Amino acid sequence: MIRQTLLAALSSLALVAPAAAADAPAEIKLGTLYASAGRYASISMPVHDGLKLWLAQKNAEGGVFVKAFNKKIPLKLVAYDDQSNTGTAATLYNQLITQDKVDILVADSGSVLTSVAVPIARENKMLLIDQTGTGAAFFSPDNPYIALMADPVSTIWPKPLADFLTEDGPKLGIKKVAMIYSTNDFTGTQANTVRKLIKNSTSGVELVYDQGVPTETSNYTVLLNNIRAANPDAVVHLGYAPNDIAFLRNLADSGVRFKFLFCIYPGLETELLEKNVGAAGLNGVFTYVPSSEIAYRSEFGMNLEQFKAAWSKAYGDGKVEFGFNSVAGYTTGLVLEKALAQTESLDQLALRRAIFALSGRLKTIDGNFELDPQGAQIGEITPLGQFVAEGSGVRLVTVWPHDVATGKPIYPAP
Amino acid sequence: MPRLLRHTLLILLPLVAALALAPALYGNHLLLFNVIVFLTLAQGINIIYGFTGYLPFGYVGFFGAGAYGFALAVMHLHALPLVALAAGGLAALLLGVLLTPLLRLSGAYFSIANLAAALAVLQIVSNPALESVTKGPYGISLSGVFDPALAYGVALAILAATTFLVIWLRHSRFGMALQAIREDAISAAMAGIDVVRGRVVAWLLAALVAGLTGSVYAWYISVFYPETVFGGEITIFAIVFALFGGTATILGPILGVVILYGIYNAIGISAPQYFQLIYGLLIMGLVLFLPNGLASLLRRRGIDVP
Repeated sequence: MIRQTLLAALSSLALVAPAAAADAPAEIKLGTLYASAGRYASISMPVHDGLKLWLAQKNAEGGVFVKAFNKKIPLKLVAYDDQSNTGTAATLYNQLITQDKVDILVADSGSVLTSVAVPIARENKMLLIDQTGTGAAFFSPDNPYIALMADPVSTIWPKPLADFLTEDGPKLGIKKVAMIYSTNDFTGTQANTVRKLIKNSTSGVELVYDQGVPTETSNYTVLLNNIRAANPDAVVHLGYAPNDIAFLRNLADSGVRFKFLFCIYPGLETELLEKNVGAAGLNGVFTYVPSSEIAYRSEFGMNLEQFKAAWSKAYGDGKVEFGFNSVAGYTTGLVLEKALAQTESLDQLALRRAIFALSGRLKTIDGNFELDPQGAQIGEITPLGQFVAEGSGVRLVTVWPHDVATGKPIYPAP
Repeated sequence: MPRLLRHTLLILLPLVAALALAPALYGNHLLLFNVIVFLTLAQGINIIYGFTGYLPFGYVGFFGAGAYGFALAVMHLHALPLVALAAGGLAALLLGVLLTPLLRLSGAYFSIANLAAALAVLQIVSNPALESVTKGPYGISLSGVFDPALAYGVALAILAATTFLVIWLRHSRFGMALQAIREDAISAAMAGIDVVRGRVVAWLLAALVAGLTGSVYAWYISVFYPETVFGGEITIFAIVFALFGGTATILGPILGVVILYGIYNAIGISAPQYFQLIYGLLIMGLVLFLPNGLASLLRRRGIDVP
């Protein structure tokens, strides 16, 4: 009887084992978009190249390990160029899902090009691997088909900045704050958070200038005069990289100096900003300290030094700058790798479960990976830093929060 | 058989049937939905430009107004999608009424003033000070009413109604009166045609068509920014599609959308870096060699284009 049972069990194993092997796909298709031209090219290409770097590494190792098949499977990248156009992007996302039938759908960079993918992914029941689209409108309790990989959701970003202004600010003499921001989802949401935190604080710090301007703004000359007329102790400018470049150039040309100036992109895309406004233009500017500057204790994947070296080797031509967004693309790959190593199948909801299971338990080059129940990234933080002159260049010093600070703020800025 | 019935049976019914069956044969449903959207908008352009000669560069303003009318009805009034759809159409109609004085202008002046009006509406909608009403520049999410299959069906119904309207205009006294106004407004008035009434009705019909299309677009995509529904390329595409096929005809805009939007997607997927070059050359060729569209090619050979 025992022998019969054993034989039956062995026979069924013999039948099942080849079937399982046959089920394993020859490759895993990873579909994504990038913008080689247009308004979002400067944030899209570094993310795309960061993801490609991870993918090339994995394929050089024979593929990525997938627990569901207990073997390494090569990755195939299917990537289309949306040229920063949302209409084209929408068609191409559909193309990836319905015609190319990709196994994993990865969004282009930034909120605008991600926005069109959110309903498409949901309609097709595909999990959208959202790389850096931080728009709060994307995340809702009734949509399980999205997870944000590498950027904190927009409301998280400016908290260290606002905390610094309201806690350390008064001690330094900061009482009056001027804020100018581009009216788009990414920076407008941050402006709302800064406004709310300053108004809710009991520090006595007040907003004396609060102005939204179109994202297309490229000349800030008149606005700079208006800000100066408000006589602020600190100026916060929230815009995309082209806005920061225009703002800092106009500021240098005008001869106006602010005692405290914050801009987003000098920290995120330092190479790009330094190329466009020079080291002198960045000296003294406060900014976010991104993962591309902080050597987080990475427990999975390359550390910052290794990643920089790999980036230089792969993209030594300098066409795409190394920075925060390149780390974001690589981080997307790391999260996918870890999730595939744990997922029970390539089913989209199984993949989602595997990704959510990593929440709070994965530390990469980008910091802590942590998701809220809707899929928004809340683990990463964006400390406040300040550029200080060093030789002929500048160096970024973290000044807030105190527990991660590497130096003291210089106020008034030089 | 009356021409109205013949064209309904030979053009409208096959078009609607093909688009109704297409989702079962082709998986990229958004592309099919966009075909319906541009077919409807191109017919909307046909109504105002083909029949009256007014070229509205800011036609997307009605589309965006419809999308936001739909969104506001859903967000603030918790309206059902079909009721919100009516609200979107009404919003575009109201904008049309507000912009009626623009009809006093003509030619390029009208086109530019209309474009400026559409940009003004975009700036108002995306003003951060109106965040509590329109969500400002921060984007709309209508995930609660997300139903792409039903939205597709409703979009098809709007296309059918719009195409039928154009068929009627092509064969009715009113449509002939509009064309008479387009050719020579003074002569038309002398012949007893109410020029102002004719232009205003055509203008509002075109606004309603774009508004309803914008509404159903908002319903289908459910997550969007102001730039998504007020994007200038929506107008450009609709105008180019209508002109390419031939305005003041029923078939012209349909041919324009099928051929040009087909090429657009083929290039957009295979060689997007050449898209602007190829599309630009196509438009230049159209203006230089075929200013009255494909329909004029057939007419030159004595073929009647419905």
